[in-house]
Amino acid sequence: MLDFFQTLSDGVLFGATYALIGIGFTLVFGVMHKINMAYAAASVGGAYAGLLVLKVMAGAPPWLVFLGAFVAGGLLGWMVYVACFHFIPLSSPLATLMSTVGMLLLIDEVIVHVTDGMPQGYPAMFDDVMLRAGEFSMRGDLLLIFGVSVLAMIGLLLLLYRTSLGLATRAVSQQPVAAQLCGIRLVRVNALTFVVTGLLGGLAGALIGASVGTLSPLLTVPLTVKGLIVTVIGGLGSIPGAIVAGLLVGGFENVLQLYRGVTERDLYVMLLLFVFLVFRPGGIFAARSGRD
Amino acid sequence: MDFYFGLAQLIGVHTLLGLSAYIVLLTGQVSLAQAGFFAVGAYTAGMLTVLAGWHLVPALGVSAMSGAAVACAVGFPALRVKGLMLVIATLAFGEGVRLFFFNFDYQVAKGGITVGPLGGEGFRQIRFFPENGWETGEVMLFIWAFVVAAMALLWWFDRSRYGTVLRAVGEDELAAQSVGVNLTAVKVSAMTVGGAIAGVGGGLYAHYTTHIEHASFNILLATFAIAYPIVGGLRSVFGTLLAVIFVQGFLVEGLRFLGDWRNLLFGALIVLAMNLRPSGILGRRRHA
Amino acid sequence: MKKLALAVSLALAAGVAHAQTINIAGFGAKTGPVRSFGVNSHAALLAAADVINKAGGVKLADGSKAKMAVEFYDDRCDAAEGISVIRRIAGTNALVAVGPTCSNVAEPLFGILQKKVGDAGDSGLQFPVFTDVAIKVGLAKISEWAFRNVPNEMTMYNSLFYWLHTQHPEMKTVYAGVEEDFAHSRATWYIVMKPRAEASGFNVLGNTKWLLADTNFATQVREMKKANADIVAISAHPFSTCGVLKEMQRQGVKPKLLVGLTSSSSLETLQGCAKQAEGIIIPTSFAPINKEAVAAAQTTAKFKGAADLHSMAAWENMFILKNVMESEGISGKPGDLQADRRKVRDGLAKLKTTKGLMGVTKRDAEREADKPYLFVHAKKGEWKVLYNPL
Repeated sequence: MLDFFQTLSDGVLFGATYALIGIGFTLVFGVMHKINMAYAAASVGGAYAGLLVLKVMAGAPPWLVFLGAFVAGGLLGWMVYVACFHFIPLSSPLATLMSTVGMLLLIDEVIVHVTDGMPQGYPAMFDDVMLRAGEFSMRGDLLLIFGVSVLAMIGLLLLLYRTSLGLATRAVSQQPVAAQLCGIRLVRVNALTFVVTGLLGGLAGALIGASVGTLSPLLTVPLTVKGLIVTVIGGLGSIPGAIVAGLLVGGFENVLQLYRGVTERDLYVMLLLFVFLVFRPGGIFAARSGRD
Repeated sequence: MDFYFGLAQLIGVHTLLGLSAYIVLLTGQVSLAQAGFFAVGAYTAGMLTVLAGWHLVPALGVSAMSGAAVACAVGFPALRVKGLMLVIATLAFGEGVRLFFFNFDYQVAKGGITVGPLGGEGFRQIRFFPENGWETGEVMLFIWAFVVAAMALLWWFDRSRYGTVLRAVGEDELAAQSVGVNLTAVKVSAMTVGGAIAGVGGGLYAHYTTHIEHASFNILLATFAIAYPIVGGLRSVFGTLLAVIFVQGFLVEGLRFLGDWRNLLFGALIVLAMNLRPSGILGRRRHA
Repeated sequence: MKKLALAVSLALAAGVAHAQTINIAGFGAKTGPVRSFGVNSHAALLAAADVINKAGGVKLADGSKAKMAVEFYDDRCDAAEGISVIRRIAGTNALVAVGPTCSNVAEPLFGILQKKVGDAGDSGLQFPVFTDVAIKVGLAKISEWAFRNVPNEMTMYNSLFYWLHTQHPEMKTVYAGVEEDFAHSRATWYIVMKPRAEASGFNVLGNTKWLLADTNFATQVREMKKANADIVAISAHPFSTCGVLKEMQRQGVKPKLLVGLTSSSSLETLQGCAKQAEGIIIPTSFAPINKEAVAAAQTTAKFKGAADLHSMAAWENMFILKNVMESEGISGKPGDLQADRRKVRDGLAKLKTTKGLMGVTKRDAEREADKPYLFVHAKKGEWKVLYNPL
């Protein structure tokens, strides 16, 4: 029985990393209605860029590296916007989808070229902190990540609902033409929202790198898939949904791994997704129904 | 010469993969599941020729049918989801198929050794072509016979009422429904035809590489599948063919002289292509 | 007119004779997580060619000397692309190809080669491939045109577990962690490490599993902790090896000894987690412990590659090929291309031993190598020799 709770706890805690990347995904997909397949790759790219801080300042503290990743993520977010969304007309969603795929491949290749594909150790905070209660233990660094997810959620909700940029973003996502008629500058809003999600993405990438301990180009595709799954299960556009879904997926996959083994684990995650798609397509927190 | 025949084989098989995504894309469904049907066809054909000793042609027939059957089964639940959700659902399905084969063991003893798919190790020694003395050029012609047949079929669809109906559903479902088009029949049938084509493509793939494993049918392959019709444009089947030649012929092989830069340019050129021609190389169909 | 024609053709013939090159193709992964392997192999091939050429080059059948030229092709660790690449190589005037990097490319690639030499009914490709890196057990027997110069993991792990057993008689149990979705790591545990450990008297308690790109090893390390074995064997590549080692550190799992996978005895593991990898023991077929090895490493470094068991196999391959070409008397003339390729194949097949950087390498009837090996362990961010049976 302890096994089950320990496994569940391990999984749910690791799910905090999915939650963190899922928040950005759900914002991009659900609020901005843009399919950005390059999001996770840009986040990992931001994390790698954070390592440049260590090159410049050899003994830099981890939080400085995370800050570097944060900034780099924002920059990458802007680049993805320019390369994939600025010039391509809105009436060609397939083209934007494909160009973000191209960006994913490009970012991956740049990472491989710069690092020769070798895994890079990543600085971590609290990675040796383990909260113990007898036989039961919990990873301190993952609790930190969970904390950051919650803070990010609060920050983003404040941004979306209490600032003019947030208002503009929501307006643009609902009715781009009407928004423009109200004087909202489409290009500025879109670019800025990509930058904001990019900033979050860079931080997510850094924290995920810290929790895994090493960065590798192997991270990008699985993280993209997890992010997409979490977004759907949580509900497109729902930030609290992304957090809950992240924890749910993390716990679920770890428990299934315990009972059914690692080779079947991902199969069950797909089945979980299908169950949601069939029975609750809106996700856990179905977004408030607005205009389609 | 052998190399060009080999490249033509690769282009042929990828064209089949692209065509399977093309027909589904016409109905407005972005399906990342085509690699899954491809995998089903690959393992089916491989098992029939290696374990049961069948000739490749009937084996490919069964591949087509199994691909179609699985696609049909996917087509119905796919009706319930739209847009991005469909992309994710089909992606998850494709991954599910890959994971199934990752866990799939079916070994039979033949001539002192065991043959057949072995989970993570894959399915090795699918040597129908070399064992029966097929030359590279002959294999190429064989593959292209199927490609031409698939293109002809889809071309004929495009010229017939069925094609118009497919595109109508792709343009505006509500309008199509209001003129009496049966959405279910159209979407599921397109998915089924796509599955059949992907099944044949997969069967051919298994035989020309002689070794398949779950990792061969990953997300990247699924992405290539829809990349071809998107980059090529939905105007006609030739768009998909041009896109395959562009990607596999030019980007992958033609740019080899650039050495390391080739891979960097791969993603960059796709981004550029989409920015310059958002409707694809051949563009979208313009109504009269 | 006739005299002029004669003079021109003589001049041309002389010109051609002087400009003789023997083309060797290298191929492997220059993309993805295994890019460093391709980079290093390419550098080693260029370095070896440089040394050979500076010493005069390869002697051809007619007594003239030819320079060795290397061209490297990227197969992106993808089976279909590997097949495309080998066909492309076969269409050039290369005599032999050195590669591939990935075992999942080698297997299908060997599958399209002609199975048995001289079998007129087999339309497989007739081109010799001499592998430097792809190490999954038992691949060369797929085709008589396939040869490998990779360490024999069976022999190495047999020797390692036997040595560990004699050195540490108090250690009785082994538990493993296996990367299940990568051909090499999976095969090496179940087919090589496990039976060899048992044969040396260890009690294998079991194994836990994960996937190549996994990031959460909590459950697996808990199972490891429960098993509480003296020795933990990790049959995985650097990324997940580092992930597991970090989790082991977190959960306080400290086995008395750690054993790793051959191909993880490279720079990557140290780059990713030098601290946690401290002490891990890996059998390998290269360490810069003699003059020749050090010189090879230095020359390869000039071509911007690192010397490890994989790239140094490529280096050795070039010298072996030079000797084979000279002993079989290849002509190097364009018209004799297929005959020369056949000679290279036959020459490689005849070899019973080859000279390697660590000593004499034996070759067996299944076209595999039995390379001299030693055991290294990670100490303070470097691979140091632990035990040299040579």
